[in-house]
Amino acid sequence: MKILGMPITVAGLRIKRVLREKWGLISWLAIPVIIVFLMSLLAGTGSGKLTGKLLITDQDDSTVSRFLAGGFNQGPLAEIFTLKAVSSAEGQALMDAGEASAWITIEAGFGDAFLDNQPTQLKLVKNPAQSILPPMVETSMKLLVDAATYIQIVFAKELAVLKPMLKERKFNDADLVVLTLGIKQQIERLEATILPPQLELIKHQVAEAKSAAEQPDITFGLIMFPGAIFMALIFSANSLAVLIWDDAQNGIIPRLSSTPSALGAYFNGQVIGATSVFTLIALLLGVLGGWYFSIPWSKLPLMMVWLVFSGLVIYQLFVALAMVMPSAKVANVVVNATTFPLLMVGGSFFPMETMPDWLAAIGQYLPNGFLLKGLKDWLVRDDAIFVAMGLPLLLGLAMLVVFWMLNRYLVKQLIHKV
Amino acid sequence: MAKMIKIETLSKNYGQFTAADGIDFNVNAGEIFGLLGPNGAGKSTTINCISGLLKPTLGEIYINGFSVLSQALQAKSSLGLVPQDLALYEDLSALENLNFWGQAYGLTGEPLKQRIQTVLQQVGLDSRAKDTVSTYSGGMKRRLNFACAILHEPKALLLDEPTVGVDPQSREHLLAAVEALKAQGTAVLYTTHYMEEAERLCDRLAIIDHGKIIATGTVDELRSQMGEKDLITLQGEFSGVDKSLIADYELIEWQDHNVRFMAENAAAQLTEILSRFKPGQVKQTAVQQANLESLFIKLTGRELRD
Repeated sequence: MKILGMPITVAGLRIKRVLREKWGLISWLAIPVIIVFLMSLLAGTGSGKLTGKLLITDQDDSTVSRFLAGGFNQGPLAEIFTLKAVSSAEGQALMDAGEASAWITIEAGFGDAFLDNQPTQLKLVKNPAQSILPPMVETSMKLLVDAATYIQIVFAKELAVLKPMLKERKFNDADLVVLTLGIKQQIERLEATILPPQLELIKHQVAEAKSAAEQPDITFGLIMFPGAIFMALIFSANSLAVLIWDDAQNGIIPRLSSTPSALGAYFNGQVIGATSVFTLIALLLGVLGGWYFSIPWSKLPLMMVWLVFSGLVIYQLFVALAMVMPSAKVANVVVNATTFPLLMVGGSFFPMETMPDWLAAIGQYLPNGFLLKGLKDWLVRDDAIFVAMGLPLLLGLAMLVVFWMLNRYLVKQLIHKV
Repeated sequence: MAKMIKIETLSKNYGQFTAADGIDFNVNAGEIFGLLGPNGAGKSTTINCISGLLKPTLGEIYINGFSVLSQALQAKSSLGLVPQDLALYEDLSALENLNFWGQAYGLTGEPLKQRIQTVLQQVGLDSRAKDTVSTYSGGMKRRLNFACAILHEPKALLLDEPTVGVDPQSREHLLAAVEALKAQGTAVLYTTHYMEEAERLCDRLAIIDHGKIIATGTVDELRSQMGEKDLITLQGEFSGVDKSLIADYELIEWQDHNVRFMAENAAAQLTEILSRFKPGQVKQTAVQQANLESLFIKLTGRELRD
């Protein structure tokens, strides 16, 4: 226990001093959170999905108009828009209050005009306060109108059969069979000309194919989240590494070398102190992000261990870099100059997924880059743990041991630099 | 008497430059040994070698009988160091600093707590123990710096100019604390610029210059090297002046603007001495009675504060 006495004392002092420097700690935690938030805004989506309200006033109330309105309630559009049928007055009131993204009015006679191949119109009112959803509605409407035009051209004969049925709302089996066969024949005829098969489908059995439900729900925010915690770790590792120079300049390290306590014990204390700070950061940001991005709780413990491990690797790298330098001033400049490229290329400021391939390839070989990639492959992409983290773990451990030994030597050399 | 600090032919070279050159001395238990010399004389190099910060090029150093080179742990356990520059965490309290340094010297638990209270009283900081060091005056910081070195009751204590920039009250506290340690049997190696401190505290002194000890002895022994002679310093224009003008005195130094020589009962002879120079040649005169300062000038031709 006595062997641990000095390192624990040094670590305790380091933690105490970090906690007293509240603004330093707050900035380590807050800057990454703010950057992720801003980047998510810039990218257009955070962790939540973009949703809006679409109002429809169906004054026609025909089968055709209901078919059209139903088009907005199908496929991907249904995930984005909540459809609400409203009267003209309700629609106007909701639009005035800015509570909907867009309002479509299907005027009376729309269905008949469509079936008679006559001109008709749809009315669209967009919310000017929104920039993304209203244009999506407009584009969707244009597509529907185009589709309707082609239907009028291609299936004119079939529509003529359909029209009296729809008007009278009477469907006899013989007419339906004729109509169905006509549509089928028309599609088969068109298939040969406008839908020639361009690709030959070859079926392969894919091992461990995941169902859609099993696929992780990857959002931009989730992709940035591990990198953001790395950003906090890198900022704190930067500050903690340079603080060793402070202890040298303030005479602590030279004086310690005249005591029975070894400088190696002092350095181990610094490492324990840094580990505690990284644990605090991993715990706070990990739990916050885990909750926000709905990461399974079962993954959080390993994620935090990995974050602390990564923080230590980066810390040891920065400490070595700082102590090799001839003065505190140079150490500060060099460590800062190293920090920002690591953040930029290593996937913290910009996810590697958004980088050009050549840049991402470089990023993956940076210490923070391969550690971050390992974490993301397991955490976000759900890769098997050993596949994702095996090699990064080995590389990280190797760096940790080599730099730890080097730093224990370098700390003794600091005495001669102050 | 036990030799708590023993230095044998200590030399330290930096390339071609010799910072310490064959230094030999001992400090006994219950003795204060002064090391006097101007900046760059080799005092701090000697202290740094003794405390293990520097490895000597040649020679041996023993603390409480343990070699600093081959039995470093035992030697360092018997040693306390008060460095010239403060070595404190300014953003922590005195208590936290003392706790840290106490543990660095291997103290823990109740003995450490008791020692912290004792040394705080010793240096007069017990009422400010919980205050952050950055709120202390320069003198209080010096006292705390001193307190950190004596927590483990070292058998040998190195004080490297501990009173530089200290107010009179703090200086008195420090000097009294050093005297108390001496009374308890601690061997103290004390470096200073201040002659009055050296004369008050030191049982024996060594004068060091250019890395060599040039005189050693008690204060009285060193003073006796000056005899009854005073040191006369003339300042003025002496280029081209014949040195034989003062051939009957013991010349220390003759420079174009500065002449130093020794004379018995200088005050009485001064008028006659000045009459030997042309009017206007001597612009300023100083007579210094025999003391360590004048001895230093006699031995080195330089002032201690050079």
